[in-house]
Amino acid sequence: MRFNEKELVSLSRQPSEMAAELGMRGPKKGDVVKKRLVKLVVNFLFYFRIDEEEPIGALLLEQCRVEREDSQSFSITFLDEAERKYLFECDSEEQRRQWVDSIMKASYEFMRKNLIFYRTEIHRLTGKDPLEQYGISDETRFQVNNGLRLMPRDTSSL
Amino acid sequence: MKLHEKILTHYLSCTSPVDKEGYLYKKKERNATYQRRWFVLKANLLFYQDRPADRHLLGVIVLEGCAVRHSEPDGQFAFSLVFEGPGLKTYRFAAGDGQTQESWVKALLSASHCYLSLLVRDLGRQYEEAKQQQGSGESRPSSSVSALKQSTPNFLFPVQGPTAVVRVGRSFSAGTVLQAPSIPTKVVAKKSPKLWPRRNAHVTPLNGPAPLYGEWPLVDFDPLEDFSKLHDYYGQEVKKAREEWLRSRRAEEEHSDGDLIDLG
Repeated sequence: MRFNEKELVSLSRQPSEMAAELGMRGPKKGDVVKKRLVKLVVNFLFYFRIDEEEPIGALLLEQCRVEREDSQSFSITFLDEAERKYLFECDSEEQRRQWVDSIMKASYEFMRKNLIFYRTEIHRLTGKDPLEQYGISDETRFQVNNGLRLMPRDTSSL
Repeated sequence: MKLHEKILTHYLSCTSPVDKEGYLYKKKERNATYQRRWFVLKANLLFYQDRPADRHLLGVIVLEGCAVRHSEPDGQFAFSLVFEGPGLKTYRFAAGDGQTQESWVKALLSASHCYLSLLVRDLGRQYEEAKQQQGSGESRPSSSVSALKQSTPNFLFPVQGPTAVVRVGRSFSAGTVLQAPSIPTKVVAKKSPKLWPRRNAHVTPLNGPAPLYGEWPLVDFDPLEDFSKLHDYYGQEVKKAREEWLRSRRAEEEHSDGDLIDLG
């Protein structure tokens, strides 16, 4: 699948509040913990070899589960598959907490849910739709009850 | 760089709703012909494939750091995604009619994570104020810090999230009704440093010139504090661009002949 790699690499160079050297272990059997520069930008988690400019990879933080593994480490599980579980080792409990919190809140879907909540509540409290002033009240992505449902697709051939 | 594709395709196929889908013509970079593709927009990702029923995805475009522009010089109902930065691409599209074009432009303008992030923060503030007014029965906008400190369930307070300091270019405004409310909704009180981090932690060292991200347009207010002003600012620009485009289209229609899109 093609993707806009240059643009994504460029995105990975944004200054980020959440960027740190963490121990990172991949999901495959035999993967070991390696020191990586891990960086959270929008809903992507980029990871770099230390002092390299271009990231090794990018993980989309949607439909994933972030959880505490122990006091100083957390994991991210993708596709609901244990085989796709990434482990991250932090330097402190506080750092671990911050990462778990940030990753969860970086998800687009999480933000969308908040938006819909606020929109509904503001409308309930004030009688006004807060999105009207921006002219986006009709946008599908902000609908309270989004009727558009994509049928689950069989992606096994991808 | 490896993009873990399965994560993207899994996200695309999961039951959360799609934001927009439909046929568009995508211009090939090399020979400037258009190819018809089925596009699916979900969150800040624009996927494309040959046909809707296809299992094979041709590609995806991550929609961060790009501006959406009408680009009539490219052809009728044309628009483009312009990624701003040295060596970055411009993707060119054309719709089948004006309505489809407008609809896609509007959807793409509000697709970025950055845009959503600012919108959520703004609405979060409005929500706190609305609750405050409800509680105290006051009619004037509250400016107290205590409104922000009010405890809310954890998942409803995204303000602590990471700062997506991504330059969005002109992708904020929705293109049509862009009048900001006359009563400013911004909270006057200074925010605690935690909510609006300014320091740049850990930027990967670069050899080349860094793109000018993180730099907001030169306006005289802090865009993170007053989203509606920023929205209005971009809105004016887009309004102007639309007016010019409409004018030139009318002029064009008087001279138009034949297909402007080469479907050969």
